[in-house]
Amino acid sequence: MNPDELRYHKEHTWVSISGKKATIGITDYAQDALGDIVYIDIPEVDAEVEANTEMSEIESTKATSSVIAPLSGTILSVNEDLEDSPEIINEDPYGKGWIAVIEISDDSELDDLMDASDYDKFIEEEAG
Amino acid sequence: MKILILGSGPGGYVAALRAAQMGAEVTVVEEKEVGGTCLNEGCIPTKTLVASAEAYATAKDLASFGIDFSGEIKPNAKKIVDRKNSVIATQVKGIRGLFKSWGVTLKEGRGSFISEKEIRLIPKNGPEETLTADKFIIATGSRPASIPTFPFDGRRIISSTEALDMQEIPDSMLIIGAGVMGCEFGCIYREFGTEVTLIELMPRALTTEDPEISQVIERELKKKKIKLHLGVKVEKVTTDDTSVKAYLSGGKELSASKMLVTIGRAFNTNGVGLEHAGVEMDKRGAIIVNDSMETSNKDIYAIGDVTGGMLLAHVASKQGLCAVSNIMGHKEKMDYTVIPAGIFTHPEIASVGLREHQLAERGAKYKVGRFQYRALGKAHAMGEISGMFKVIADSDTNKILGVHIIGHNAADIIHEAAVAMKAGLTAEALAETVHAHPTLAEGLMEAAEDVMGRAVHVPKP
Repeated sequence: MNPDELRYHKEHTWVSISGKKATIGITDYAQDALGDIVYIDIPEVDAEVEANTEMSEIESTKATSSVIAPLSGTILSVNEDLEDSPEIINEDPYGKGWIAVIEISDDSELDDLMDASDYDKFIEEEAG
Repeated sequence: MKILILGSGPGGYVAALRAAQMGAEVTVVEEKEVGGTCLNEGCIPTKTLVASAEAYATAKDLASFGIDFSGEIKPNAKKIVDRKNSVIATQVKGIRGLFKSWGVTLKEGRGSFISEKEIRLIPKNGPEETLTADKFIIATGSRPASIPTFPFDGRRIISSTEALDMQEIPDSMLIIGAGVMGCEFGCIYREFGTEVTLIELMPRALTTEDPEISQVIERELKKKKIKLHLGVKVEKVTTDDTSVKAYLSGGKELSASKMLVTIGRAFNTNGVGLEHAGVEMDKRGAIIVNDSMETSNKDIYAIGDVTGGMLLAHVASKQGLCAVSNIMGHKEKMDYTVIPAGIFTHPEIASVGLREHQLAERGAKYKVGRFQYRALGKAHAMGEISGMFKVIADSDTNKILGVHIIGHNAADIIHEAAVAMKAGLTAEALAETVHAHPTLAEGLMEAAEDVMGRAVHVPKP
C-alpha cells in the first residue's frame, strides 16, 4: 500500500513535505514495473529541478527511464548510498530508497499532486 | 611496373602486398616498424590493453557469475605492457613474413622525395641511397597532435604512445579530449583503478557519433565514476615533479598525476619532400587526393591518414587497394558511404552510415528503430546488459541509411548492417532475416523491426 502521509505525482514519484523541504523518491509501483534497478544517475546538489521534467535517469535490468521531478526547486541533498547500491530503491522505495531532498520553489505545484487514495486509483487505471 | 611505397602501416603494407600479388616490383620504405601506428601505437596495442581491462573486470566480478574466489586480483602494469608488446611482435613478424613471401623489398630508414622520380633513403644502417620507381604511394600516416601551449613532455603530459607503455597505473589522470582515444583510454585506465577525468571542448562526448550514442556513453562513463567536463576549454596547464594541473574556462582547476592529450592527429607530411615532387597539400597539411587516390602529381598516389579523410586503418587499407588497382591499369574509385567503425570503450560502440544529426541537417526524411541490449536473453546471460541498437531508414523506402550500436561486441555485430547497406537493403530485409537465438545480433533484427513499429520484445506503447 502507498503510505497516506505522502503525496504522489502522475509520473510515479512520491513527495514527503516538511516545511519548504520535499524528499523525493519513486513509488513502489514504479520500482516494481522497472524490475531490478542496476543504476541511478543521482542529481547533483545545488542543481535546479523543474516539475514535470527529468531530474534523474534510472536503469533496471528491463529498461532505462527518466525520473520525472514532481516539484520545482533546488537540490539540497541526495542519497549517496544509491550510487553503489541502487537496489535499495527496490527494497525500500519509501524509506531508505529516497533519491533527493529539494527546497520547494513553487508551492502552487503541490496542488497538482495526488494523495494516496487518488494515486491508488490512478495506478489501477494505468495497469488497466 | 616498379612501385615504391613510403610507409608500411595498414595503408602501405596492404598496398604493397596487393601490388606484389598483381606482379609489380615493390619496395617499401619504413622509418620505424612495419604495421605503422595501427599495429605499434594504435589499434592493436589499445585492444590488448582493453582485453587486459576486461579480464580484470570479469575477475573482480566473478561472484556475480557464481564463482567463488579468494585471493588478491590486481593489474600488473609491466606485465600488461609485456603482453601488449608480445602481441605486437607476433603481428610485426607476420607482416615481415608476408613481405618476404610475396617478394616485397623492405628498406628500413627515412625516405623523402628529392625529385618527382627519386627518393633519398637515409637508412637505419648503412650508406644513403637514391631509389626510383615508376609510381609512388605516400602512406606516411599521422601522429598525435599536441597543444602548442602545453606540448608533450612524456612524463606529466603524455600522448597515446606513452599511455600504451605505462610502467605503473597512475592514481589519477586528466584526459584532454573525449573523442575516440580519450574515451577508450578513459575506460581502460578507470578499469585498472585510475581516477579519470575527461575534459572536452565540445558539448558532448564522441561528438562525431550519433547523439544518442553520446548520451548512452556519457551515462556509462558516469557509472564507472569517470568525471566528465563538457564544453570547457583548458586555458592553462602547469606541471611539477608529482602532478599536472589544468585551469579550465569557467574557473575550475583540476590536478592529477598524468595528463593524456588526445585532441586529434597531425599529418606526417613534414620532411617527405613533397615540395620536390609537386604534391600539393591542403591548409591542414594533409595531402590532397582525388577519388582514385591520385595526388597533384599523376605518378604519385597518397593513401591513409596522411590524406586527412577518415582516419581509420581499414579506410587506409581500402585506399591502398584502390591506388594499386589504378596503378595497375584498372579503374577504381573510393566510395565512403559504407565505412563501419568501432570504438573500443566499455561498452563497445560501432557505427556505419549516417548519424541522426547529419540526416536532420540534410532535411532528410527518416525513421528510427531502437532496441535495448537489456531486452536480450543473451545479454543477461553474459552479464552485459547496457546498450542499444539503432537503425535509421528512409521514411519512404525503408532503405537503411545508418546503424549505430553501443553494447557488447558492437564492433563485430555492425558488419551485418554494413553488408546490408552495401547491398542497398531495407530495414525490412534485415528484420525478415532469421537471426539465431540466443545471440546479441538478434537485437539488430529487433531494431530493424522497430523501424516498422513491430519489434516483438518491446511492450505496447
